[in-house]
Amino acid sequence: MGAVGLTLAAGHRISPLQRVGESRVQPSETGSFSSAGAARPEDLALAAACQRGELQAYEQLYRLQGARMKNLARNLLGTQSDAEDAVQETFLKVQRSIASFRGQSSFVTWTFRILVNTCHDMRRRRVRRKENATEETSADAMPVEVRAAGAHPALRLALERAIATLTRHQRDVFLLYEVEGFRHAEIAGMLEITETASKNTLFNAKKNLRQLLAPPRGSQLGGAE
Amino acid sequence: MSIHCEDRERIFLDGTPEEWLELELHAASCEACAKELRAWQELSVAATELRNHQEDPALWTRIAVSLAEQTAQNAARENRWAFLRFGWRLPLVWQTALAAAVVLVFTLSGAYLYVQHQRTGNAGNTAKNPFLNDRTLAEVERTENAYMQAIDKLAGEAKPQLDAAAGSPLMDSYREKLLVLDSAIDELRSQEGQNPSNAHLRYQLLAMYREKQGTLQEILETKQ
Repeated sequence: MGAVGLTLAAGHRISPLQRVGESRVQPSETGSFSSAGAARPEDLALAAACQRGELQAYEQLYRLQGARMKNLARNLLGTQSDAEDAVQETFLKVQRSIASFRGQSSFVTWTFRILVNTCHDMRRRRVRRKENATEETSADAMPVEVRAAGAHPALRLALERAIATLTRHQRDVFLLYEVEGFRHAEIAGMLEITETASKNTLFNAKKNLRQLLAPPRGSQLGGAE
Repeated sequence: MSIHCEDRERIFLDGTPEEWLELELHAASCEACAKELRAWQELSVAATELRNHQEDPALWTRIAVSLAEQTAQNAARENRWAFLRFGWRLPLVWQTALAAAVVLVFTLSGAYLYVQHQRTGNAGNTAKNPFLNDRTLAEVERTENAYMQAIDKLAGEAKPQLDAAAGSPLMDSYREKLLVLDSAIDELRSQEGQNPSNAHLRYQLLAMYREKQGTLQEILETKQ
């Protein structure tokens, strides 16, 4: 059994160095351009094409970031359909406000900031609807949709439930950093916080998750260890 | 540089790659740090379970349709106000001339409307208030003079009857009434001279004449 109480497959353990500093998997490796704080030429070119209203530019943005956007939205909102609505709404908002994009930050960072805000708006609306319907549900709880089985469905389910108990900022930073692979500088730009705050929030999120996922005392029966 | 157990959390928070390497080396001989390090790293591994970056072409189709719809709506909205932007494309001289023309048109329109308003306002006032306009007043005066002449003629016819029956209480009463009426008529005529457009004065004067006419007719009937 893993030290956090989750069973990982043999050989699934990662080297510490794979996840630290510059050696972690960068978003730039999954797309044709980085979403780092300062806008790069490709990034600016894409933004300029979007400003000209070229649908192909939006299609390129979707091709590069759509899957990651949808994944983040699903992890923030809990359901596939809500995630799709959030991504669609984000693209519409990008189109509506692209004229105000001045290239002070990365276009992708800017887009993800809109996505995160859209997801939070949708969560708030959902909570309000639930309150109106006087359902006895936790205000911050989110529905966890059964998804296609991965390598460790139990692990994923446990983690989803644990993440749902984190604070909003902790959840955002953990998902953006650990799941989506953004760097702290990028996360700081998206959430409009400092890089140090992003690091602190991630640290606290992981500490909380570690406590939540730790096996009960005396139940360590051995496993992966 | 040597890493100790108390450095562990600081490295978890913001350690450099070199510090992480040293922590790994330290963990090889420290069970507590090894356990913490493993748990920390396993969270990152577990997080990859939440990663599903599968392509979804159907979602793009949906987004493309909504983007096209939004573009069409924006274009329709902009077309509605496109005429306002026409002026900005003109040279400065033409913009100034256009502005001057607009000001001139507005000024002329305003002046025309003001004059029209004054005219229609006067006409409306005349129709509503008790004052008469010049043409109507002249007509009224003409008719009134003819009527007064007729009454005076009638008074002339009744005068011998009144004189002949001097001392008769009835005729004395008629005479006194005629004196009062003549006095009132004189008073009203003097007021009318100061305010000839006042229709109310004219109604009162007409009423006095009617009364005088009625009295004179009664005197003449008494004769018969």
